[in-house]
Amino acid sequence: MMRRHLWWSVLAVTLLVPAWFAGFHYTNFVGDPMEVAGLLPGFLSSAETWINVGVSVARVFGGLALGVAIGIATAFAIHRGGLVKNTLTPYVTVALRTPSAIAAIVALSIFRGAEIGYLVVVAYITFPYVTTSLLEGLRSSDRELDQMAKIYKLSMLSHIRHVLAPFVAPYIFAALRNAHALAWKIIVVVEIFGAATLGFGIQFSHAWEYFQILEVHLWLLLFMAVVLFAEYCVLRPAERRVFRWRDAS
Amino acid sequence: MKDTVVRVSDLGVTYAGTPAIADLDFSVTRGEFVSVVGPSGCGKSTMLNVLSGLLEPTYGSVSVNGRVLYSSGEPLPRLGYVFQTHRLLPWKTVRQNLELVLSAAGVPRQQWSERIERLLDVLQISEFAETWPMRLSGGQRLRVSIARALVIEPSYILMDEPLSTLDEVTARTMRQELSSIVAKTGSTVIFVTHSIREAVFLADRLIILTRGPARVFEERIIDIERPRLYEDARIGQIEAEVVEKVLGAWGLDEPRKEAV
Repeated sequence: MMRRHLWWSVLAVTLLVPAWFAGFHYTNFVGDPMEVAGLLPGFLSSAETWINVGVSVARVFGGLALGVAIGIATAFAIHRGGLVKNTLTPYVTVALRTPSAIAAIVALSIFRGAEIGYLVVVAYITFPYVTTSLLEGLRSSDRELDQMAKIYKLSMLSHIRHVLAPFVAPYIFAALRNAHALAWKIIVVVEIFGAATLGFGIQFSHAWEYFQILEVHLWLLLFMAVVLFAEYCVLRPAERRVFRWRDAS
Repeated sequence: MKDTVVRVSDLGVTYAGTPAIADLDFSVTRGEFVSVVGPSGCGKSTMLNVLSGLLEPTYGSVSVNGRVLYSSGEPLPRLGYVFQTHRLLPWKTVRQNLELVLSAAGVPRQQWSERIERLLDVLQISEFAETWPMRLSGGQRLRVSIARALVIEPSYILMDEPLSTLDEVTARTMRQELSSIVAKTGSTVIFVTHSIREAVFLADRLIILTRGPARVFEERIIDIERPRLYEDARIGQIEAEVVEKVLGAWGLDEPRKEAV
């Protein structure tokens, strides 16, 4: 069943090819797919290409890791209620509503293009999604399992690790999916705004600036491949492994 | 004379001024299987919450092996609990569910394997050791839940209507097996049920509670030799006697026989 779904996904993506040909024939801003195909081997075998990919990937996943860590910590802190909840909630609200472009500009102003700035802006944009999703999970946590844990005297750490974390894992993965998508969007914007020297964003920007349409296409294709790889070959397998017990029913 | 494991002394629990339990008093000796029956809403769940360490009583006391629960500094005794809905962790295999409680109970790791294998064998679920709970039937999950309660070698085991979610055929089988398992392991059990027949079948002693706030209405020794048969006429006779007594005490009328 899953293989059939996968094949359908692959088919859907390949439908881009005829759409691309049509775009090339009927517009003057879409590049020739055959020309792009001719340039692809050289593009993919260039070390410079993969250095740029590596830099963006590191920024995305570094920022995402930071954002998830902050998001989880914030959710648990807010869930405890009281003064901490009242203190943190406004910040989460503001972060959730901050436009990516504003966050990018502010981060660049503060960190002046340093690598830490990219990580911080991705973390800032993604953590509130993790927090709000995880809070939903914590609020709906299974009281019966909590009681079982208390009766059998599980320590707090053991309770979180073996009972609570697996219970809220679906909420975390849902947040991770959204956060991952946002992270890619924000990092490209930041790399363009920040005039980075390396990364997807700056490569797009340079290619467009010099009207190198074919190069824009190459970077776009590679970008799509990378995000699809991250989604289908990293995130989804991880999710399947964590939730393999669900398939038992 | 067997020593007392659980001693409930003049126990009372009040919620917002409303008593749920009042002056509840009974004890359970080592290796004894005590069934507790009472009408719905009489305070059985409250009683279990107190006995399991989840709810401090308003007055009175519970002591286990001579140690008073809820007194400061006293660690709670090791207890096993078989829930109505089993409450197994679905993301852990059967073995992992048992290992978790062994770890929490501070049992040395070297002992885990032997204890788990032995209990799974007694409960006839050895083949399911590496299975996720969701793959198991209701009866199998109950056995795992019982294994989880037994594996830590608790001072006593509480069972909260564990057979109520099973179909009647499975429940009948499990009643026989539960009786046999508890006899084999010599566990001290407090078994709460709404079925008087089930309570009589399983128990060494029957405790009947009043309507809420719960007090002990009557205690009765069940002097039928083991192994017992659920269909045994003596069990039916005791059940009928108890039902007749509690109809009035629980404020229930005998059902009218209406002409069809």
